[in-house]
Amino acid sequence: MADARRYFDDIQMGEAFESPARTVTEADIVIFAGLSGDYNILHTDAEFMKSSSFGERIAHGLLGLAIQSGLLARAGTPFATLGLGVLRWKFKGPIRIGDTIRVRAKVTAKKDGPEPDRGVITLERQVLNQRDEVVQEGDTDVVVERRAGG
Amino acid sequence: MATPQFYFEDVVLHGVVETPALTLTETHVALYSGLSHDSAVEPGTVPELLPLCLTTGLGWRVPQPPLAVLAFMGFEWEVLQPVRVGDTIHSRSRTAVKRSLREGGVIVEDRQVINQRGEVVHRGRFTFLVAKRPA
Repeated sequence: MADARRYFDDIQMGEAFESPARTVTEADIVIFAGLSGDYNILHTDAEFMKSSSFGERIAHGLLGLAIQSGLLARAGTPFATLGLGVLRWKFKGPIRIGDTIRVRAKVTAKKDGPEPDRGVITLERQVLNQRDEVVQEGDTDVVVERRAGG
Repeated sequence: MATPQFYFEDVVLHGVVETPALTLTETHVALYSGLSHDSAVEPGTVPELLPLCLTTGLGWRVPQPPLAVLAFMGFEWEVLQPVRVGDTIHSRSRTAVKRSLREGGVIVEDRQVINQRGEVVHRGRFTFLVAKRPA
């Protein structure tokens, strides 16, 4: 079977992607609290949150991070990724139960990797909600394979 | 009744918190991947964001009330080596910055994820906005 992944050599500076969208539900937050063990009242106490400025439980920031990673994997042909190097991330606003989020990403840098068979792609990412507000944003350095003999 | 919380005033600059450990299983990976649709790059390893996602919860298992986080503002994170299914990780954090604001304060923590061989596998820096003790 042909390798459909995109190699370092195939990826262009400035390329942009937009993922499908996904509605974040109460179930997502409950499962994430159980998996991570992070039971902060912001995510788990509906009564307390009624009196907060959010009015409702909000998603863990790191749940949003995990979901955007899964969404971006659905945005197009995957890169021949060898690993993630570095993340720089900002949480700009809450993701409420019922919000629908998607991710926009752009290639902002391409540089040689630590070894000749790979390079490093910097992807700038924005997580947007249904009102086009940026709720999270950051950069990730992803190590991507070069084409053999390329 | 007020829930006990660890407020800005309680945080000790340069204080170190070391958490209990957690063995990463196929179940953690399946739950995480089912939830997020994020997957591991290499078979036998865990998705690279999974240890990061578990590190805040590990902090809930130390014998002190949870930090009164008003907002998780951001982080920087570096993946130094892969974490494999079966590895047992814990987290060590150190308060690097404590800056008081009119309402609450900013806490910056240096955090490491350490495996069963004592190797630092991931590391980074978290920034939180934390509530002050109610008057």
